Amino acid sequence: MNNRLLKYWLCICLLVGLSACSREAERPAVETEQATAETTPAATQDSGGEETQALVLLRGLPTLGTTNSVAIVQMDPEAEDFGAILQEFETPDIDPPLHHIYYSPTGRAYATALDPKCSLVEIGLARDASGSPVINGADCIDTGGQQVGEDIMWHTVNGTDYMFVTFMGGTGVEQSDGGSVAVLDSQSNEVIKVIEARKSKVGDGEPFVMYPHGLSAHGDRMVVTSTIHPDLATGVGNSITVIDLNTFTPIENIVVEDATPVGFPSSPVEVLFVRPSIVPGVEPAVLVNTMFGFETWKIGYDETNKTFAAPVKLYDGVEQGTGVPLEFYGNESELFVSHSLPGVVKRYALASLPELVSSGPDIVADAGAHHMIFYPTKSGRKVIAVQNNLLNLGNAADNDPTDIDFIAKVNSHTVTVHDLATGEKLAAVDFRARYDKGIDNIEGLFTSGFVHHH
Amino acid sequence: MANAGFGSIDKSIATLSLCGLMLIAVVYWFARYIEPKPTPLQGFTAPFVFGNFRVPTDNPLTQEAVELGRRLFYDRQLSGDNTVSCSTCHLQHLAFTDGRARSVGVSGKMLEFNSMSLANLMWGPQHFFWNGRVDSLEEQALDPIQHPDEMAQNLDDLIDELESDDVYPGLFKSAYGEISAENIARALASFERTLISADSKYDQYLRGELKLSAEEEMGRKLFMAHPDVKVSLRGGNCIDCHSQFLTSGFNAQFDGFSNNGLDAETLLDSGLQVATGQATDRGKFKVPTLRNIALTAPYMHDGRFSTLEQVLDHYNEGIRASDTLSPLIMEADNQPQNAANIRISLNLNEKEKRAIIVFLHTLTDHGFITDDEFSNPFDVDTKPDA
Repeated sequence: MNNRLLKYWLCICLLVGLSACSREAERPAVETEQATAETTPAATQDSGGEETQALVLLRGLPTLGTTNSVAIVQMDPEAEDFGAILQEFETPDIDPPLHHIYYSPTGRAYATALDPKCSLVEIGLARDASGSPVINGADCIDTGGQQVGEDIMWHTVNGTDYMFVTFMGGTGVEQSDGGSVAVLDSQSNEVIKVIEARKSKVGDGEPFVMYPHGLSAHGDRMVVTSTIHPDLATGVGNSITVIDLNTFTPIENIVVEDATPVGFPSSPVEVLFVRPSIVPGVEPAVLVNTMFGFETWKIGYDETNKTFAAPVKLYDGVEQGTGVPLEFYGNESELFVSHSLPGVVKRYALASLPELVSSGPDIVADAGAHHMIFYPTKSGRKVIAVQNNLLNLGNAADNDPTDIDFIAKVNSHTVTVHDLATGEKLAAVDFRARYDKGIDNIEGLFTSGFVHHH
Repeated sequence: MANAGFGSIDKSIATLSLCGLMLIAVVYWFARYIEPKPTPLQGFTAPFVFGNFRVPTDNPLTQEAVELGRRLFYDRQLSGDNTVSCSTCHLQHLAFTDGRARSVGVSGKMLEFNSMSLANLMWGPQHFFWNGRVDSLEEQALDPIQHPDEMAQNLDDLIDELESDDVYPGLFKSAYGEISAENIARALASFERTLISADSKYDQYLRGELKLSAEEEMGRKLFMAHPDVKVSLRGGNCIDCHSQFLTSGFNAQFDGFSNNGLDAETLLDSGLQVATGQATDRGKFKVPTLRNIALTAPYMHDGRFSTLEQVLDHYNEGIRASDTLSPLIMEADNQPQNAANIRISLNLNEKEKRAIIVFLHTLTDHGFITDDEFSNPFDVDTKPDA
């Protein structure tokens, strides 16, 4: 591997490792849809403008003297205070920063974290006497030693509600083939079981779990991706693992890889189990984004026999001029997939899933297009806001070690707001320029516990 | 010289007197016209999951306003004959209801409606009372005071009484400045906005502090589910109308008013039609909070049902058809589409009905009904309404 390629590989590894991805707080609501109405009484209410207030994770930049935080930001481009931080709760003791936000079916807010000392957090939310949102806590949850939290999903198995979390570092980032999926009591946050099956421990040909990142489930089957070791150098995955939720054991690995455009394993990162609760009447199937393969794959699922078909490539980023596909998000009629390179969000008809049938113009964001939210503006215009960076980097000129912009140029530090129908860019906030901070995540709204996930 | 001297002294005295008078006038002016600066309510937090609420900008929550409102709420002076206070029909230990089918005020006549529970009033309501006839908590506060059968109080007389009271002038001055009908309403509304119930067993469940029992959980799921026989999902269909069951209703115009099948067409009461004038709103009444529902019998706008069992029986087998009957009720029958002898009924079995009732009991907030902050501030031996 020559130096240039090595540099590029390290860059991509870093990007992948620290990029997060999809959650299931909204969609998994197959089994928990009722909880939306149950726990968020304002869901059908006039929200008083709060539907444009995003819950975001910000990263302090060491050379600029800023601190990691959870914040609420006004994202209505029609508002005078567009881009303003309305409320902020600093988390100086959690470093690296919080990573992804989820709301549980009962309206509790969680974040995964890259910090080995604190890899899963419950965020406290409340309101003050004026009704304004308040963030009042970020409490670390005992993960039983599992490290580098990534995705969360709430799912009901045989009548019992569980919270599942992928830990890309498993029970120790020092393990070269680590990774685990935690099964937690959805009420108490206590770890019930650690699903762990290291490749080096299970023997040749046996199903394993390695560097799990994305997860999704349907019925008694869960799929998790094998992405990349958290140190960004030790190893890269190229498969997904099927887990039997009746026994919480891995039962199959499916390789999701074709061409290797950058010379490395495909690194499946996000996964979406397309299922009838998302698309009524659909034949279930699994969609997978591969970060290094630049592709989106489909794996059919025979629900009767509980068997998975051979993967079929649906989207080839090399052919289409895109790279590093990341997230799946959905609204009531469309599926959105973010591609970090060159910074674009593609959209597909929900009703046509699991096939990818374009449903409208691309949303051309900035390099690093990643997480997103959907909401109406004050005037009722439907918009999408896209967070455009994979990492949360400082300024290389300040000798900030987290700045690798000079390599990949996929860290714009912006959130761009677009008309949802046309993709027209309406406004943008540059968090580094305005707040001396990186923005790590925007995928939740404060309003009524609603969050957009795949 | 002497005269001149005395004249000078006179002038000085006159000048001093004038200055003194001016000083008194200035002090009086300041005392009279300086705006009070009440203290923002301290330590107030409200649950995130209840959703957005807005306090009127001209009536922010302040300690002084809440204290004044609490005193007014429990004071019998607010009624024409000093026998009835707000708390007469809104007893804390009954989640601010009165246990009667229909309340009785100063006239001794049975009123038109059942007393509504007062809890979590900041969330939702744009239209108060069972028939939605007023559209703010402030306006609501003055309605029963003036109603001839409820409190029968002339507001001007009430203001005179309060102005001659030892305590109220100071309280009003601190909270709002002057004693007026508007400020009486503001103070009562402020106190009522602080009546937040957020610590029932179900609230604790939402916060992850405990688990529901198997029967409670069964009831919860039935409560939340609209029946769908295609996927073998049985449902109590409660959430379809009671989506705001933790708070106090809807904030979107006249959402949250429904005809739940209590009466046949010819017997329908006016209901929301009183507020809208629309015949299509006849028989529709406010869908109430279900918080503390186990404490607030009798049920329905006219208190016709004494128990939750009777309420469930109504939805299961007592629905009366009419032109404005909620389609959400008509659709939910837990039966296959081709089932014979379809009738409007949830068709729940006894176990299912019982589970829903058990779940409804998890909405009881014992801390709310014993919270000193909401209790009668008067010494019980003075002018109380315990």
